[in-house]
Amino acid sequence: MNWKLPFDIPLVVPTMGLPGWFFDTLGVIVFVVHIAFIYTLIGASTASVLYNIFGVFKKSKTNDLLAYKMTNPTTISENMGALWGVAPLLVISVLYTGFFYTAILKVSPHILHIIYGNIFAFLLSYAYKFSWHALHNHKGFHIAIGLVAVLTFYTLPPVFMSMSNLYLQPELFASVQNIWDIMLTPLTFFRLINFFLTAFAFTGIVMIYLGVKWVKAGGEEAEVGRLAIDQGKKWFMWAAPVNIAVLPLVFFAFTPRISEAYIHTPFVFLPFLASAVLLILFFFLLKRFSHVEMNASDATKAMVLMVVAVALMATARHGIRVVSFEEPLQLQAEATEKYMTNVITEYKAHKEEMKNAPKVVLDPAVSLADSKGCLACHSVDTKLVGPSYKEVAAKGEAADVLIASVKKGSTGKWGETPMPPQTLTDEEAKTLIEWVLKQK
Amino acid sequence: MFDFPIFEMPTIGLRMLMAINAIIHTFVSHGGAVGGSVVLALAAWWTNKRGDMAGYETVYRLLMVFFIITTSVGALTGIGMWIHANIISPNAIGGLIRVFFWKWFIEWIVFNFEVIILLFWFMTWKPKALTPQGRSSSVKLGVFYAASSWVTMLIITAILGFMLTPNFDGQPWIDPEVYPGNVNYNNALFNPTWIPGLMMRTFSSIAFAGALAILWTWILTTFSKNEEIQETKERMIKFFATIMMVTVPVAAAFGYYYLLQIPEAARAMIPTAMMTRAFADKMDLMHTIISGIGGTVVLTTIIAYFSPKRMPYIAATLMVSAFLLFWGYEERTREFIRKPFLIYNYMYSNGIRVTDVPYLNKVGILKHAIFVDEDKKVVKEDKSNLIEVGHTVAQIECRVCHTVNGINGLKALTAGWSEAAIRNRINNLPGGGTPYMAPFVGTEAEKDALAAYIASLNKRGEIK
Repeated sequence: MNWKLPFDIPLVVPTMGLPGWFFDTLGVIVFVVHIAFIYTLIGASTASVLYNIFGVFKKSKTNDLLAYKMTNPTTISENMGALWGVAPLLVISVLYTGFFYTAILKVSPHILHIIYGNIFAFLLSYAYKFSWHALHNHKGFHIAIGLVAVLTFYTLPPVFMSMSNLYLQPELFASVQNIWDIMLTPLTFFRLINFFLTAFAFTGIVMIYLGVKWVKAGGEEAEVGRLAIDQGKKWFMWAAPVNIAVLPLVFFAFTPRISEAYIHTPFVFLPFLASAVLLILFFFLLKRFSHVEMNASDATKAMVLMVVAVALMATARHGIRVVSFEEPLQLQAEATEKYMTNVITEYKAHKEEMKNAPKVVLDPAVSLADSKGCLACHSVDTKLVGPSYKEVAAKGEAADVLIASVKKGSTGKWGETPMPPQTLTDEEAKTLIEWVLKQK
Repeated sequence: MFDFPIFEMPTIGLRMLMAINAIIHTFVSHGGAVGGSVVLALAAWWTNKRGDMAGYETVYRLLMVFFIITTSVGALTGIGMWIHANIISPNAIGGLIRVFFWKWFIEWIVFNFEVIILLFWFMTWKPKALTPQGRSSSVKLGVFYAASSWVTMLIITAILGFMLTPNFDGQPWIDPEVYPGNVNYNNALFNPTWIPGLMMRTFSSIAFAGALAILWTWILTTFSKNEEIQETKERMIKFFATIMMVTVPVAAAFGYYYLLQIPEAARAMIPTAMMTRAFADKMDLMHTIISGIGGTVVLTTIIAYFSPKRMPYIAATLMVSAFLLFWGYEERTREFIRKPFLIYNYMYSNGIRVTDVPYLNKVGILKHAIFVDEDKKVVKEDKSNLIEVGHTVAQIECRVCHTVNGINGLKALTAGWSEAAIRNRINNLPGGGTPYMAPFVGTEAEKDALAAYIASLNKRGEIK
């Protein structure tokens, strides 16, 4: 295998004595929360635009109100999603520093889209939400704003997932040269299908959950709640079946080294288990499909099942990390230790050498020339950017003329490259010029 | 640095790429979040206490503006700082995360409070504004939001202080002769510029937020169709100006205190840092600019305080612009005076650790450059790949600060120089002329290659 791995950071990992499984669990939990918000963001922002359009075409106030209400989960999930994205980033950067940064560098500068593209989408989604009433009579324009925001949100997962797929497969560091090399692979394709379908299924459950709450509130909200429950079921039942089939496939689309090793670990059962949970949830909702209203406990059960499925997917994904990183982490640790041993040996030797080196006493004029930066362009006996000091001395100009040239700058005497004016006192200039004129 | 893939940002360079994100983030996080939370919480408390409901409504409208900018631009450029740092100096950010992992984790927990409280404060403002109990609980949320914003700044300034002054008066934060490096976390955290830097930032952020609030109050009240809201202009501007009258002098005093804590070598770099090298000697101009920025802030604050009603739009804009300039300069200067280091005395600006230098000088910087093609690593006997090797050395050692043709471009900097002159220059990079440059690291052969490459830049396209 052609491994190309950077060295590890030569500082201890600050585990505070906590075991490895603690960080693994922490990583999975914060990731699940993050991804749950991201699923909601993708789904809720889509729903908000979709029902806004339905509201216009069906001339339905209920649809319009549902669309408006969906801007709240959008706002909350975009803020919380970004915030909970930081924690996995932190855990991964401290544990798998080299792999993570290499992947980011390989997909640069496109990876910056997750910052700047995200800001753009955020601002548009706020504009969409806060201009709802002001643009009530300009629906076309209003929907266009929302649509651009949603489409921009859609461009973020492909970019981020390319980075994450590269980081999960360190053997590709040698061959992948840019983001397209990894984006246009079956793995990214499968994972994106899985991501978007899970996002829509998850949002369906969120809509049911919110719908039940709205029905309880009564009045105009109850009408919106019933619509949300009805639509939520459909969102889930459209998205889930294909996802159930695609989900296990994702884990066989990694490189042969990873996929083959993965089969021999218990992690391989998790994607199937996640599919099974989705299937149970599918039948759970099918049984209640014709119910106009659902009770709170059913909504909670559906939410729990959905979160369990997402947690199983996240743990299965963590399994990839376990399987994939074992060998490269080992190789990296060995290489780093060898490198650092050489570095420290050489550093100690150098320090010893410096200690024993005889102290050179420089002519004060030479130290002055160095500290004023003269030696960047001049040397005593070779012409560099400016003439050598021997040449200057040989030309035999008067000291006053030379002092003026140093202080005010000069050009033309030694070619076209100008000498910029220098900041020094008369005393310093005199010392330097006297020394220069001695260099014949 | 040499062990990671190479990413170059053409024309604007990596430093500018980072600076764009960093300056936007500083503006928003300092003015919008840390300062903004304090100013808005104070304004909500003050208007509510006086029973000034129109003023209370104006504060809500201000909060909306601050909310939108802080949660989108502010939050994402904050994450952006990490991503940009990854791209530019993976070794530096990797090291910082190893040293400050738990502090960052605590900061993240506090961020949760900050964001959740802000969401609550903003989204429940309207229903809570109807009753006195609701309003007083709303004001409390504002106070908690301000407190949690400040705590996040408390932690991040420790990390910034660490990069400038990592050693606590002779107690090293790390022993460079041990692998894996065992970090003394306390010495890293309690570094001498932490608290002075924090205090300077806290008060100038509040002052900056005052200026932003004045500008936005001006805009929101002037264009409001509601007469009651229009009438709040005078008293709200006066209130924000009062906050500034207090915080501007306090910020200046802490700024001076901060300056005194900076190591002498770094302080000597300030004139160069403020401008570019060409301006380093024009101290008069520098002083004029500093007094101009300071004077504008003081003058516009006085105008706002004594004549809030007639505070012209141009003065409000000038006030905010002066602060923007101030933050831009402050950030540039703070980043620059650390040179030639990224983490003082530990890692150079180009990501090479000081400890690694003797070894790399012996075996060459390219020996372990894992992501560089083999035929670009060692100069062949016939020297056919001399320039390619030099190019790789430049990519690894120079690209963080220099582009080829753009900002701080190697080509323009060495126009008219002979190869011998360039090679001589590489010999004494951190010398008297440019104390902010990191030394060349590598073998003599690599130095030759680098000189040949840089010299070749100005030869291209020449008619022979």
